[in-house]
Amino acid sequence: MSGMGQACYVYPGAPATPGLVTADISFQRGINMQGAITMDDGTVITMWGFTDLAAGGGGGGGGGGGAFAFPSPAIRVTEGQIVHTTLTVGMMWMHTIHHHGIEPSTENDGVGHFSFDVYNGSYTYQWKASSAGTYFYHCHTNTPLHAEMGLYGGLIIDPAPLATDPVGTNRVFNNGPIYDVEAIWACDEIDPAWHTLDWAAGTCGGDVGLNNLNPKYFVITGVDGANSALTKMALNLKVGQTGLIRYICAGFYPQMIDFGGLTVSVVESDGRPLPAAWDTTAIEASSAERYDCIFTATTTGTWIVTVQYLHWITGNVLGTARTQIVVT
Amino acid sequence: MDRRSFLKASGVGLASTLMGTGLLSWTPRSEAATISKTYYINDGTVAMPDGVSVYFKSYGDSATTLHLPATSIICQEGDTLSISVVNRLLTTHNFVIGGLKAGDPPLASTGNIASGNTGTINFTIPTGAAGTYMFYDNVTSYNRFLGLHGGLAIMPAGSSNTLYPNSPTFKYQKFWVFNDIDPALNNAVQTGSAIPTTLKPRYFTINGLSSRPPGATDAGNPAVDAMSDPRSKLSGSIGDRTLLRIINAGICSHSVHTHANHMEWLTDSGAIRPTVWKKDSLYLRNNFGKIDSIYPFSPPPDAYPAVTTGHFPMHLHDEMSQTAGGGLYQFGSMTEIEFI
Repeated sequence: MSGMGQACYVYPGAPATPGLVTADISFQRGINMQGAITMDDGTVITMWGFTDLAAGGGGGGGGGGGAFAFPSPAIRVTEGQIVHTTLTVGMMWMHTIHHHGIEPSTENDGVGHFSFDVYNGSYTYQWKASSAGTYFYHCHTNTPLHAEMGLYGGLIIDPAPLATDPVGTNRVFNNGPIYDVEAIWACDEIDPAWHTLDWAAGTCGGDVGLNNLNPKYFVITGVDGANSALTKMALNLKVGQTGLIRYICAGFYPQMIDFGGLTVSVVESDGRPLPAAWDTTAIEASSAERYDCIFTATTTGTWIVTVQYLHWITGNVLGTARTQIVVT
Repeated sequence: MDRRSFLKASGVGLASTLMGTGLLSWTPRSEAATISKTYYINDGTVAMPDGVSVYFKSYGDSATTLHLPATSIICQEGDTLSISVVNRLLTTHNFVIGGLKAGDPPLASTGNIASGNTGTINFTIPTGAAGTYMFYDNVTSYNRFLGLHGGLAIMPAGSSNTLYPNSPTFKYQKFWVFNDIDPALNNAVQTGSAIPTTLKPRYFTINGLSSRPPGATDAGNPAVDAMSDPRSKLSGSIGDRTLLRIINAGICSHSVHTHANHMEWLTDSGAIRPTVWKKDSLYLRNNFGKIDSIYPFSPPPDAYPAVTTGHFPMHLHDEMSQTAGGGLYQFGSMTEIEFI
C-alpha cells in the first residue's frame, strides 16, 4: 500500500500511546519530503527531514509539513524528564521515530515491524530520559534509505543540575565533567544515486541498490565537509575554557575522526559514562556510535579536525570532511 | 582409547551441542575431557530471501546436509579437542582454529585435506586460552565466505559463568556468527569460473540466516527466519544475562546494535578491554573480527511506565546489511530480542 508507489512489509498505524501521562517536555515532528541541500561544488541533492511543527513553517510536501532542515531539529531534554515526541504523518508515506540509544517500551521504540509505521495520523512516543549523554533520533521505516535521505537529528540529554552548581553550569553527565562550549558533529556520507528513490523503494523486492553505497559527499552536521564545514562547524573557544565535542557516527560506513594532534578525553560513549576517561587523538567508530570528548584549551592555536569515511570492505578512505578547533 | 576415556568423550560430545533453546549448553567439569567432533565438508544450495538460489560449502554434521555456520563447539581449558574433518568435495580444503587475538598464530589446524581424505586435530587446550574463537578454511582467501566457518568457545577451567577469569558473569551464552554473501563469488566457485576481484555482497546473515518481517513467507519459521532462529534470537527474563560471542566471518565490517539494553563490552578481537563499557552499538571488524559482550536483560531503562516484557530487534546499523538482493529491507542480518 502507498500513496506513491507500492510498499510492502510496512505496518501502518497511529494508535493511542499506552499509559499516556502529562509530559515534562514535548516535541512535535512532521515530515518534509521535498528538502534539498547544496554542496560546495554546486550540486543540489534532494533530502528528507523531520520538521518542527511547533515552530511553524508551511508546505513541505505533505505528511505534516514544516520547514526543512538537515539534520532534523535536535531534541534536547533533561535527565529524569518524561518526554513526548509526537510524529505526524500524512497519507502519502510512512515513517517512525526511533530514539537511538534510548530504551523505551516496544510501542515507543519506533520499529515498524515490532509495532507500527506511523501513517495517516499522529503517534506520541513516550519515554523517560534515564541517562544523560549524546544520542540521535532517526526514522526506522525502510531505514537504509530513510536515514540516508536525512531523516535524523541530534538528541541530547543533559544531566539535572546539581544543587551545588552555579546557575548555567554545563555538565556532560550527572556529576560529570564541566564544559563551557560544545560542538555536535554528526558525520555522515551521501550517495546521490540513492536520493532519487521512492520512500518505499525495494520493500516489495527488486534491486534498487540499497546494498551498494557509493558516497560522493561527506558532511558534518549537514554541512559539506569539503570546504564549508571547516568554518561553519568549527568549535571556537578561549584559553582556559573547556570544550565538549559530541561526535556522532551518523553514516553507515566506519569513520576515523582525528583531532589534528589535540588530545581529547573521551568521558562517555553511547550515553553511558566510561569507567575511566580515555585520552586519545583519534577515534575509530562504526555506524551510530557516539563519543563525548572534552579538552581544556591551554594555548591559542588552530587544530584541523579530519573525519575519514572508510569503505566497509576495503577500508579505503572514500572521502574526508574537515572542520577545526580554534582557540583564541 | 581405554573404556573410561571413551565414555567420558561420548558424554562430553553430547554436552558440546546446542540445546533446543539455541543456547550453548555448558556444565563445567572438575577434570579435563576429550571433546570429539566430526565435520563433513559438503556443499549445496540455499534459497535467499528473494528466491535466488546460492551455492554454499559447509562443515556439516552429516555427509550431505549443509550447516551454515558449522555447529559450534564448547569446551574448557585443559580439554583435548579431537576433531575429524572429512572432505567430501573434489577440491582441497582445511580446518583452522584461528588464534584468540588479532595477529596470534592459529590454535590448531588439520593442514590441507585432499578430496576424499580426512584431516584431524588432536589438541590439548592450554590454561589461559579461554575465549571465543573462529574456525575456518583458509586454503583460499574466500572459502570462509562460502560458509566454511564456525565458532569455538573455550571456557575457563571449572567455570560456568565467566568469559575469562574474574570477568563479569552471565547465565547463558550463544554465538552470533555474521557473514556477507556475494552470489557472484559463490557461483564462480560452483562453476569453476574466474573468481571476482571485487565483491559486493547482496545478502547478509546471522548464523546463516536472514530475517523475515511479519507477513513474509517463512516469517516465524526458525529454520529460515533469523528473527526466530533459536541460535540467534535472544529470549529471556529480567536478569537472564547472556554472553554474546560475536564473530564476523564475512568481508564487511559491521555495527552491532541492540535495542532495549546497552551491552557490556568485554573484548575486541579477542583482547580483554581495559574497562567494561556499556554500548548500544559496537564496531565489529571484517575478516575475523570478534566481540564478546553481555546482554544484561535489565528492564528497558527509558520505558515509562516501566516494563519488563517486550519485543525488540538486534540489527546491524550499517543498514545496507538489512537488505536482500539490493532491496527488501528487513530481510537482512537481524534477530529478535524478546523480554518474557
